[in-house]
Amino acid sequence: MATNRPAGTVRLLLVAVLSVCSASAFADLAPQEWLNRMGMAVKTTNYEGTVILIQDGSAEALRVVHTVKDGVVHEKVVAQEGNGLEIIRKGNEVHCILPDRQHVLVEEWDNQSTLFSTLPSSDVQFGSEYDVSIVRKERVAGREAMLLAIRPHDEYRYGHKIWLDYETGFPLQTQLISAGNAIEQVKFAEITLNEEIAASSLMPSMNTENFTWLEQPSSHKGSSVETTWQSDALPAGFRAVSTHEEAMNDGGEMVTHIMFSDGLANVSVFIAANSGKLESGPARVGGSNSYSITQGDYEITGIGEVPAVTVEQIVTTMRQP
Amino acid sequence: MNEAIRMQVSAFVDGELPSNESELLLRRLSQDAELRQDVAQFLALGRLMRADHGLAGADRLYERVAAELNNEDLPVADIHPAESSGQSRFMQPLVGASIAAAVAMVAIFALQQNTGVDEARNAATAAVETAPVVNEIVPGINVQQERQRQYFRSHAQSASELGANGMNSRVVSLQFSQEVIQPADVETQEDTEASADVDDTEERSTQP
Repeated sequence: MATNRPAGTVRLLLVAVLSVCSASAFADLAPQEWLNRMGMAVKTTNYEGTVILIQDGSAEALRVVHTVKDGVVHEKVVAQEGNGLEIIRKGNEVHCILPDRQHVLVEEWDNQSTLFSTLPSSDVQFGSEYDVSIVRKERVAGREAMLLAIRPHDEYRYGHKIWLDYETGFPLQTQLISAGNAIEQVKFAEITLNEEIAASSLMPSMNTENFTWLEQPSSHKGSSVETTWQSDALPAGFRAVSTHEEAMNDGGEMVTHIMFSDGLANVSVFIAANSGKLESGPARVGGSNSYSITQGDYEITGIGEVPAVTVEQIVTTMRQP
Repeated sequence: MNEAIRMQVSAFVDGELPSNESELLLRRLSQDAELRQDVAQFLALGRLMRADHGLAGADRLYERVAAELNNEDLPVADIHPAESSGQSRFMQPLVGASIAAAVAMVAIFALQQNTGVDEARNAATAAVETAPVVNEIVPGINVQQERQRQYFRSHAQSASELGANGMNSRVVSLQFSQEVIQPADVETQEDTEASADVDDTEERSTQP
């Protein structure tokens, strides 16, 4: 027994030294490297905790369980207030359970998206439109975190603050910043990272057998197409990164979908035949803004996580030579 | 189902359809299974999509039918002139009410079977319901609202393909999804008015 003590002590010392070494290694990371860590952590980290979502002056608590098994995302999100919404996800299939209405809405999500990954990571090249910097260490959800700030150079895009878990790079808190104010905030109140997630933790909390099940058909994305539509006054840094034709599920009408991006913020522009029913003008949900106009035989709608002025400028300057 | 029937159903749910036309509509519903299905879907969509055509769904239909059943002045002779002429006058109200009740029950039962929108009364028909049936949400009456929702979803998906797995986009998409299965306006109108001073989140979240 006595012979084990020195070995155990040495092991502890080794772990401590390695921790210090790795911690100091993280201290030297550049902002982009932190974002790379975040991108990897979001894809690979198992986590369980309570998230506070603050938006439009209201706060909502969500219980979240997330794991990836054999490359398949398993996730459960339960609203802690209000209608008790539950979201059960297994891979692409998502069940939104509304206990108060006794409905289950079945949706299909693409497999890459996750609920709490907030920003692009390694693929993003920040251009001249943003500065990204390391601000300082802080504590979030009882854990040491590194605060990163992404500051836009103009009013056409939002800023971001991200608190990354120092040990894993996982985003513990994010803020969407407009004119110095946080217009949307996601923050873990408590979290456990990379611990074993029991299968039962991912199951619905209630029996939904007698609920009304509704299927939300997904729109059908067509192949890439070329379009002559373009914006006469695209805000600096934005460029068209993809153009598709998509079949809407309200009759199969084909809509041209052009995605503009500045590498961080994205704006979708949808061009459809003029139905004569379009409600023109702006709309907003949280940090997302949309703007719609009718232009001759077409309806044009833009949507993006950008300020209202950006989406309006893009939509109102769309032209077809 | 043609536009005229839709308008009739809409007016009936709103209590604006003349009583004789109401009876005719109910009678037609009792005899035409296909129409029942169409009406059920029409009402469900109105409810699900928060249609602005004065529709609210099965609850209001139920109330309207109940009101018709409680109406002692049912125009029985107008509905069944041939039958009433050969029957005792004392029997007429009872027969009329029974027919109306039967029609109403058929209509409500059809609605419940087809859409499941009236959960409060599902217990009565629970025996005929077995495994969950997935009903596809057909594009709604409020085309623009549905279109806007699809745009948000498509944007969220495309953004995630770019690597920007927008929490924002996902939350927005979820909010729109919840909108689809919110209760009808009329059902919550009183509650909404009562709580307007303390909770206007939904209104703010969808307004410019």
